Amino acid sequence: MGTKDIFRTTFLFLFFSWAFTSCSKDRVNRDNELLYWSSNNGGEIQFSNWAVDRWNSAHPDNLLKYQPVPEGQSSEEIILAAVVAKTTPDIYSNIWQGTVEFYSTAGILVALDTLEGFIDFIQQRCDPATILEITSGDGHIYQVPWKINPIMTIYNKRLLAEMGLDTLPQTYAAYMDAAKRFKKDTDGDGYVDQWFGNTSVKLAWYQRLFNFYPLYLAASGGMPLIKDNRANFNNEYAIGAFRFLQELYRENYFSKQDQSAGQDLFVAEKYATKFTGPWEIQYLDRFKREGFEYGFYPMPVPDDHEGPIYTYCDPKSIVIFNTCSNPQLAFEFVKTMVSEEGDLEFLRTTNQLPRRKGLDSIPDFQAFFSQNPQLQVFAQQAKHVKGVDNCEVLTEVFDIISQEYEACVLYQIKTPEEAIADAERAVNVLLRVKN
Amino acid sequence: MSAPRKKRNPLRRTVLPYFVVSPYLIHLLLFVLFPVVFSIVLTFHKWNIISPMEYVGVDNFLRLFQDRLFWKAILNTLLFLVVHIPLQIVVALTLAYFLTQKLFIRGFFRASFFLPVVISGVVVTILWQQLYGMESGVINRVLTSLGLGRVEWLTNWRIAMISIAIMATWKNVGLYVILFLVGLQTVPISYYEAADVEGATAWQKFRYITLPAINPTIFMVVILSTIGGFSLFIEPYIMTGGGPLNSTLSAMLYIYKQAFEYYHMGYSATLGLFFALLIMLVVVVQKFTIESDD
Repeated sequence: MGTKDIFRTTFLFLFFSWAFTSCSKDRVNRDNELLYWSSNNGGEIQFSNWAVDRWNSAHPDNLLKYQPVPEGQSSEEIILAAVVAKTTPDIYSNIWQGTVEFYSTAGILVALDTLEGFIDFIQQRCDPATILEITSGDGHIYQVPWKINPIMTIYNKRLLAEMGLDTLPQTYAAYMDAAKRFKKDTDGDGYVDQWFGNTSVKLAWYQRLFNFYPLYLAASGGMPLIKDNRANFNNEYAIGAFRFLQELYRENYFSKQDQSAGQDLFVAEKYATKFTGPWEIQYLDRFKREGFEYGFYPMPVPDDHEGPIYTYCDPKSIVIFNTCSNPQLAFEFVKTMVSEEGDLEFLRTTNQLPRRKGLDSIPDFQAFFSQNPQLQVFAQQAKHVKGVDNCEVLTEVFDIISQEYEACVLYQIKTPEEAIADAERAVNVLLRVKN
Repeated sequence: MSAPRKKRNPLRRTVLPYFVVSPYLIHLLLFVLFPVVFSIVLTFHKWNIISPMEYVGVDNFLRLFQDRLFWKAILNTLLFLVVHIPLQIVVALTLAYFLTQKLFIRGFFRASFFLPVVISGVVVTILWQQLYGMESGVINRVLTSLGLGRVEWLTNWRIAMISIAIMATWKNVGLYVILFLVGLQTVPISYYEAADVEGATAWQKFRYITLPAINPTIFMVVILSTIGGFSLFIEPYIMTGGGPLNSTLSAMLYIYKQAFEYYHMGYSATLGLFFALLIMLVVVVQKFTIESDD
């Protein structure tokens, strides 16, 4: 072997050695600094930088490192990949409440209620109903409720005023009546081109979180879908919500057009209402025409409904992974991040609501809401919101409901009673098999 | 006088070849063999990625045979193939035939037909989603302007899969046009000249000269379309999510959902293994059928 060959072989050996050792998980060593990941949207990055800078300047001996969650198809996929590769951050915000049980059952989250000061902290931040909602099946709490985006009905003020409505169509009957009057074929081509509303017709399980589920919570006063490890939704409220939506589609009061296919028909004033969250405010500020006025009101409810109107709030939480070397310190950071001052800063930078009790009665918050009246409606709704049930197979539960939703609501090949009964049966089989 | 032969290092003769092929060998072991073996192991386990694996014997296989949705997905995929493959062959062969003629700006047409092949599948799918839109879609607007009725391209369960097959044909036809062009150009002109002397019609020339001559190309197109069709995923994933009423749920989409929505890794691996064997079987049957016809 010549000198050249020896050099070549040595070079290749060193290159491959370097390449393989670079893949080692030991490379994740972070010099004992805690690592915090947030979501990667602009507002949350800005807020997280603010929170981390504030912490680091007050705690020079316990510096925190921050980065947004790496880019990927979805943050859920990135977190799962990080869990599998054991490269999770110490702290992660923006985890959907529905996935926490999946991770906690696998034992990769820190039980926060075992940390000093957590119980006092959570009781101060959340009302008992929220604490009960976030308590895992094993009795521990693995998440800090962080933010919510309640689902409400948005309406076009001009269109409803032109219909001569004295009050907003809050009940199923009123909504249906208004829808009947609004539906129109404006160009006379024989096809309806003006509908009272729209909601996603896609089969994806999570779409039911934004139509059926908030209607169910509104009608039932916030009843869970799963109770004592069995389906709890074969009742008048779920059947009523299915029937309500089924009629909207059967009578062509709701368009089957997918919202992503083409122009936004709410902005184009072809829809008078739709079900949406507070993110719509910033979106409309950018895309609405001059003089376009809109408002929000709670989800429609059955005609005989009494009491507060609940809705789904799309809750996101903060968790600490069990790879964290100092969970108590991580919790101390989380406490400062979601303090009253932190939540107010969060509200200002992101226009999303913190999940804390008495949101609209804290003086500093009141000042903000008085300048942002559209968001104030959501803050008032925040008193009556629900997240999701703590269920390890929640995705599959919603997938089953979605299959029945499609068969009943969109294609009318099942009655609401049949669809809900079939969904109940399938969910019970699923929950039994899981155990 | 010839120069003395250089003495070869025996180590170099024995080790160097292995060293040279090692990058590919490492790639093969890490990214092909290991996943195959691992997925076979997975078929006997229940695993949700983050919890330890649990041995379940042949439970996953038993479940597969009782899983109605999986069989529906297989039937949907077969329906897609039944529409897509003949359509692909007819359209590609017709276009290829015309492109062999002396056309004005023929090169431009050849490039145009190939363009969709190199565009990302996701982009094409989103584009067609806009075209297929019920109310604001371009196709329905054209139909209504012609006084024809609107079509529920993606929201009618009877035609949603056919709509996807049409789109997939548009996307892939360019590749098969090229293959047929090559095939057509290998047919000797003397055959056609002889047929002309005998007074053969255009159809007779196509039926008795062109078709037998390009049979190997047709076989290749059928095999490639079948394998490509069985892997139908992006189109239903983006356009319909498998709906309406599971009518566009392809086998690949179902396997994906089991793995990455429900984290049923063991069951998903079982479906994948079964599906791979099915594709193999279909391709072998196609091969024997076409060869026996030949």
